[in-house]
Amino acid sequence: MMRLAEASAATGAALAVRGVWKRFGATQVLENLSLDVAGGEFVSLLGPSGCGKTTLLRLIAGLAHADGGAIVVGGREVTRLPAHRRNIGVVFQNYALFPHLNVFGNVAFGLHAQGIRDDVKARVMQALALVRMGDFAERPTGALSGGQQQRVAVARAIAVRPSLLLLDEPFSALDRKLRETMQVELKQLLRQLGITAIFVTHDQEEALVMSDRVAVMNAGRIEQLDTPQALYAHPASLYVVDFIGQSARLSGTVRGTDGDWMVVDTALGTLRAARRFVPGSRVVATIRPEAIHLGAAPAGANAFTAAVAEMMFLGARTVLHCVVEGAADDDRLMVELARLPDPAPHAGAPVTLWFRPEDVAVFPHP
Amino acid sequence: MTAAAATLSLPAPAWRRGDMTAMLALPAMGYMLVVFAVPLALLLWSSMRGEAGFSLAGYARILGDDYYRQVIWNSLSLGLITTAGCAILGYPAAFAIARARGYWQVVLFALVFLPLTVSIIVKTFGWAIMLRRDGLVNFALLGLGLADRPQRMLFTPESLYAGMINVFLPFMILPCYSVVRMLDPRLTEAAATLGASAWHAFSRVTFPLSLPGLVAGIGIVFSLSCAAYVTPSLLIGERYMTMSQVMAKAYLNLRDWQLGSAMAAILLAVAVLVVLATSWLQRRLARRGGSSS
Repeated sequence: MMRLAEASAATGAALAVRGVWKRFGATQVLENLSLDVAGGEFVSLLGPSGCGKTTLLRLIAGLAHADGGAIVVGGREVTRLPAHRRNIGVVFQNYALFPHLNVFGNVAFGLHAQGIRDDVKARVMQALALVRMGDFAERPTGALSGGQQQRVAVARAIAVRPSLLLLDEPFSALDRKLRETMQVELKQLLRQLGITAIFVTHDQEEALVMSDRVAVMNAGRIEQLDTPQALYAHPASLYVVDFIGQSARLSGTVRGTDGDWMVVDTALGTLRAARRFVPGSRVVATIRPEAIHLGAAPAGANAFTAAVAEMMFLGARTVLHCVVEGAADDDRLMVELARLPDPAPHAGAPVTLWFRPEDVAVFPHP
Repeated sequence: MTAAAATLSLPAPAWRRGDMTAMLALPAMGYMLVVFAVPLALLLWSSMRGEAGFSLAGYARILGDDYYRQVIWNSLSLGLITTAGCAILGYPAAFAIARARGYWQVVLFALVFLPLTVSIIVKTFGWAIMLRRDGLVNFALLGLGLADRPQRMLFTPESLYAGMINVFLPFMILPCYSVVRMLDPRLTEAAATLGASAWHAFSRVTFPLSLPGLVAGIGIVFSLSCAAYVTPSLLIGERYMTMSQVMAKAYLNLRDWQLGSAMAAILLAVAVLVVLATSWLQRRLARRGGSSS
């Protein structure tokens, strides 16, 4: 344990989770999970409900205790420390503001709890100013809007200068427009203060917008931990493909190789992709809608003749649903175009679709 | 159109707007008028009537007499001790029930509720049997060698306090439980993540937020135990006269209606004070969070 603490202190990791296990009754919630977060980094835990992301957050905060493994915060092992001795701030999903205290009392609570007597007023007002709630210090928390309550919760958590800030779906109770404003605001604030943050969400867009890195979680494990760009461009598994963005999925069998490519038989016909599997493998090929193009295919591209079934204009982009010639009607390819060709295709019109072999991501058939 | 809208928007009395919801209280209010308000008025009237018309002699007899002042103090101190005992035992029990899971919550609830279904007289006789000279407690004390002769326990103030707490404990647990049950456990967690020890979190978050339940329980138990009649008369009787016992004696034995009704009016005044004090406290507690800390 000592060696571990020293190691993480040497690498400057703000948080190191090492092989953590957690079980509730017969259910394995977290399975040998490890995670490193650098100082000042913003990392999201992204996954569906029940994937263990909130449990991991509670273990880090000390609100629950791991059955095995170690948690090191800023070089200090905290695995067995109670929550109140960890100095880790938490913004709860429902904010958990103290209803019997006003805004000032809520923000001052942590300072009082830690026995801080000097400059309490100045520190509280400073924290409130950071979230632009300075004028609300004397207000009862019950009279605040959702966005204001969220700001107070953030001010309360950062007023004690935590070594780590944990956020448990803090935007889920806000409407869409306010959520987007608050996301930008929070991201700027945390960068300005240099606070390391772990953010739990089930909303992939939110995770991509906010994070330096995203950990995609599935059934108690981290499927992939990477930057938003890398997650989107190089998903490590079919699960990550499904969770981040949209993709067409084509089941098929590897028939053989063609130079650097392998040839896959699918319901749409044969297509070529980067060589990864031996002939005969059952695979799933995935293509992002924006990787599919309309018009004359360049040499070496996967090309299909198709008919436009639906055309949906979405402002900045247009989505086409196309039925490939010779394929079943419900086996559609979704195509996303930033700019419509001139003349625009109309429903039922025959079009040529093409995508480059390197834009096809192929995974073993589950 | 605008003029019509302006006219319509004028606030009309509730009954004009056809809002008759308040009328739903009429049957209950009529019933209470007949069985409560009228007898109460008669009682107050008879407490202020002497041989020659209006007189406060009844009150003067009670407040000017050491014996009756002692009786009032007996009732009040019995109420205070019972309330304190119920609060000390009931407040933690309310947490245990609220935080218990599944089967255990059912068991704990049964332990609180079952005594309520047993009549006070039956329970009090049970106490009397247990505490008497040849009762279970003396049997145990003698058997364990903790006493060399039977202790007198029945008809002592201590046995009265024990019996009163037993009878009124559920009335403390239930209001506390109903408030504690609604406390968001995340508030305690939030306090912990802010650096608050378990004690700090309890004293600054949980306890203040559970106060409305405790205040309600104190109000209920104090009013009920001040006015208790059956338990004191069975467990201690004439050795510890309370206001209720004096009232009963005045009406049933002495036929002194002036004394009985004046004592009843004083007891009523105590109850009204308790109700006013608790509702004032409850409103103050509800307004918290608005003032600066």
